[in-house]
Amino acid sequence: MHRIVSTHSLSKRYGNVYAVNEVNLTVYEGDVYGFLGPNGAGKSTTLKMLLGLVQPTGGKAIILGKEFYKNRRVILGQTGALIESPSYYGHLTGIENMRVMQRLRNVADKNIGEALKIVRLEDQKDKKVAQYSLGMKQRLGIAMALLAFPKLLILDEPTNGLDPSGIGEIRELIKALPHKYGITVLLSSHLLSEIEQIATSVGIINDGKLLFQGSMEQLQSKSQPHIFIKTQDNKVAERLLIGRGFSPVINGKYLTFQGLQDVEVAQTNRMLVNAGIDVIRLEKRKKNLESIFLELTGRERSLS
Amino acid sequence: MLQRCISAEWLKLRHSHIWIILMVLPVFSILIGGANYCFNQSVLTNGWYSLWTQVSLFYGEFFLPVLIAICCAYVCRLEHMNKNWNALMTAPISPWCVFLSKLFIVGVLILTVQIFFLTLYLCAGRLVGLPQQFPAETFGWIFRGWVASVTVSAVQLGLSIRIRSFAVPIGISICAVFIGLGMYVAKVGMLFPYSLLTIGMGVLSQESLTSIEKTLFYMMNIIFIVLVCVISIRHLKKADVIA
Repeated sequence: MHRIVSTHSLSKRYGNVYAVNEVNLTVYEGDVYGFLGPNGAGKSTTLKMLLGLVQPTGGKAIILGKEFYKNRRVILGQTGALIESPSYYGHLTGIENMRVMQRLRNVADKNIGEALKIVRLEDQKDKKVAQYSLGMKQRLGIAMALLAFPKLLILDEPTNGLDPSGIGEIRELIKALPHKYGITVLLSSHLLSEIEQIATSVGIINDGKLLFQGSMEQLQSKSQPHIFIKTQDNKVAERLLIGRGFSPVINGKYLTFQGLQDVEVAQTNRMLVNAGIDVIRLEKRKKNLESIFLELTGRERSLS
Repeated sequence: MLQRCISAEWLKLRHSHIWIILMVLPVFSILIGGANYCFNQSVLTNGWYSLWTQVSLFYGEFFLPVLIAICCAYVCRLEHMNKNWNALMTAPISPWCVFLSKLFIVGVLILTVQIFFLTLYLCAGRLVGLPQQFPAETFGWIFRGWVASVTVSAVQLGLSIRIRSFAVPIGISICAVFIGLGMYVAKVGMLFPYSLLTIGMGVLSQESLTSIEKTLFYMMNIIFIVLVCVISIRHLKKADVIA
């Protein structure tokens, strides 16, 4: 698959503190890449470095196959972005804001109508943006980012401040972008549930470090059920089971197994009982994504 | 690319009330200067030249620099507000276009103001009963005043891009005008943009500049404009965008 974004040890240091620390991000063509992390984890800073808004103190970013800092204008011409909260000129109407962007990006007039239609703002386009609701401003921001129908769309917390119906609408819109317009999407969020519903690939960042990167399935496979067995003597049980080709891990008072089939669970139980080791508990536990996320990012920090 | 940027800048001025300030400040200068002229006609006996000393003093030494500072602060305030730097700096345009398009817009606004001021001056002169024939130097003052205005605009734009506050760069410009007056009096006015405004507008001395002085005047303006542009564009290129 084609890499749309790849960063190599991308870092940003403020004084002695790394806001982003050696991040290697890879976004493939056609992905909806969810960039997940608590507030202040370095999501926005990373995205800003991909757009040249922040100068990295180390590493490099390759976007659309080209080194960013040597090809800034070409890359920006094929990239749309909505960073932090939406940018807008409040004294201008929606359509005038779009026209400003259209001139800066040198795209056809018809794109304006099309982009406004996608975010369903056609009816409000003649209203001054200062009078827009936050949700409408956000949608206008997305329309401006879509204006050039770029190859790469970077959205920073795109559903921030939207009401539930607005969130649903934007979610459907983002999901449709790759196959409908061939746009690869890189979006950030501090909400796991959000990323879970939109993204095909995930990167999890905390304290400036990328802790996990992979497909949504890979992340979900981490939540495969584990079998927990408590026996009278875990040490002996472990040795016995390892000898029979299982791979138990001692986890506190339990032996845990990953990816065990029902048949194998019954087999294990039988072996232990036959060997004279009493089985006290036999449990199936499923970790949800939330707990995986918390484990990765450290429990002490809240999600929102 | 520059053309596109300029046309985008024009669009941003729509529905804006900056016109009111652009028109009101020259009127003030003429009213105050004109009144001064009328009440002191016993000493001010040099007709059009005397009227010029009065109106241009208020205009060139106070209202025009403030006006330039306001214009520059205004075109930057549009970007400082509502995270617009993010959108502007992620558009496929180079930083020099961002700076030059703003300088161009301010330059055009100030040119309009200069022409408006000239018209007001001529009307005021006729009103106070001066002869039809006005000094041809006036055009030179207006034009050179505009050239120096562009220089001052470049400096103010550089300040306003860095300073998020609207008022601080305007305050700086007022201070700079006083420093400029001091430097003008000390005969080193050619070395300071704000004194170039005094020299160009013929505020304190209506004697024609010699051709050497003129050449020096234009050269200094060009040097200052290029210098300030280079510094500001470098800043736009290198510094992190804070929206």
